Amino acid sequence: MARGLSLYVEGDSPLHRAHPFTKGVLTLSAIAVAFIAPSWAWVVGIGLLVICLQLIAGVFRRFLVVAITLLAPITVLLLIVQGLVNPANRTVVVPAGGFSLYREGLLIALLTAARLVDLIAATFLFSFATRPQDLAEALIQKGLSPRIGYVVQSALQIIPQTLEMVSRIQDAQRARGLETEGRLLTRARAFIPLLLPVVLSSLVATQERAMALDVRGFGLPGARRQRYVLPDSVGQRVLRWALVALVPAAVVSRILGWR
Amino acid sequence: MEVRPVLALRDVRYRYADAEREAIAGVSLTVSAGEWVGVIGPTNAGKSTLCYLAMGLAPHFFGGRLRGELTVFGVDTRRQKVAERSTRVGLLFQNPFTQLSGARERVSEEVAFGPEWHGLPADEVAVRVGEALRLVDLEALAERHPLDLSGGQLQRLALASLLVMRPELLLLDEPTSQLDPAGTNALLQVLAGLHRSGTTIVMVEQKLEAVAALCPRVVALADGRVIADGPPEAVFADPAVEESTGLPAYARLAKAAGLPPPWPVTVEAAEKAFHRA
Repeated sequence: MARGLSLYVEGDSPLHRAHPFTKGVLTLSAIAVAFIAPSWAWVVGIGLLVICLQLIAGVFRRFLVVAITLLAPITVLLLIVQGLVNPANRTVVVPAGGFSLYREGLLIALLTAARLVDLIAATFLFSFATRPQDLAEALIQKGLSPRIGYVVQSALQIIPQTLEMVSRIQDAQRARGLETEGRLLTRARAFIPLLLPVVLSSLVATQERAMALDVRGFGLPGARRQRYVLPDSVGQRVLRWALVALVPAAVVSRILGWR
Repeated sequence: MEVRPVLALRDVRYRYADAEREAIAGVSLTVSAGEWVGVIGPTNAGKSTLCYLAMGLAPHFFGGRLRGELTVFGVDTRRQKVAERSTRVGLLFQNPFTQLSGARERVSEEVAFGPEWHGLPADEVAVRVGEALRLVDLEALAERHPLDLSGGQLQRLALASLLVMRPELLLLDEPTSQLDPAGTNALLQVLAGLHRSGTTIVMVEQKLEAVAALCPRVVALADGRVIADGPPEAVFADPAVEESTGLPAYARLAKAAGLPPPWPVTVEAAEKAFHRA
């Protein structure tokens, strides 16, 4: 059975041991600065920093798979579209009559692609190195309702279980003669007889789970015990503030035209 | 000194919200400490509802209308919330998968879910988790992901998640219905061990042979009423029980062989009965 939607990769690197908020702030700052910053130097610098952190965390290879399957086709598409039709295009780089590629468009495409790399790399770094339970526990310890923390944690496991249930219902309907493959119209017609059993099964499962949680004391008023201590040092707190400060610094830099 | 019953119902009637008829239509029974009561009956007899009433899910979770007197450990179930009762009463459901919290990645953490919500200190939680896993023979799987377990193991995990609170009364709503024979045997052995150590058990079960072999007392329900209550041999000799619920295999065999009632309901009793005959 599918375990969950979490991308977390077990590890014991400094990134894994860092407080979830530190990793979260790092991710958000990296993304914000990559998109706000005015020049290549910032964008490439952030990308290199994040990739170094991925190497330290031992998750770079997983990111490489994502980069090749997701980012490469997007980059090629950007290069073609921007290189062909960007309004700022002036200098031909690849002459091909009406389909010539221009330097200005290509550079804009590459900058956009580099920003996307920063975005994806930072997001995946966070996902690979942060256990969802740790993030929920950190949020609860900072005041998030434990019930909402539970919803966050459980969604990652329950969604794949629901998808497996859909697959089982589909198999059962196929065994009864329902056509679920082929033309679009055939597949669309198959949707209706699948919808009712999926919805009903989900509602029943939800009710049963709610009862089981109640029986175990879920939602008891009063202090829920802190599950475990998430190490958080003064150094990490200072680092978080410094990372946050980078964002307005990037804004100022852009306004003043600093490169 | 009068010993208070663990579970006491006096002329209890319960109707689910929006239901036309009562699911429990005038049930009176008491369960004493240390008893193991098997509850049998056809579909819609009120068996699961009896468990929900004892746990307080009816009416706190389902709403509906409850009349009569219903106390668990002397406390009216209408006056105590389900979560508050969870330190003394546990309810095991049929489906092993929907009893998982879905928020824990290790078996030991799953078992610790309940005590954490009760605010127990960390060292006490650790002791209780170890104890609960030992009781259900899942110690070796403490670090596994819950979704890597088989159906039978998951049901034992669900049971451990209740036992960690050290309940004095265990309610079981068809706990083996989704288990294979090996899983069923493993779970029933655990329950037998719990009963020997003093836990009061009320078990709804369709496997009549298991009920007859394990439960010194059987309560048969039909249409929301008690139609028989007593030792298994006496209950299964009641024609009303045979008509509504059926007989364990050994009793059917003995009846078919022409033996007079009360028919044997366990393999040991059947062996003796056939030797005598």
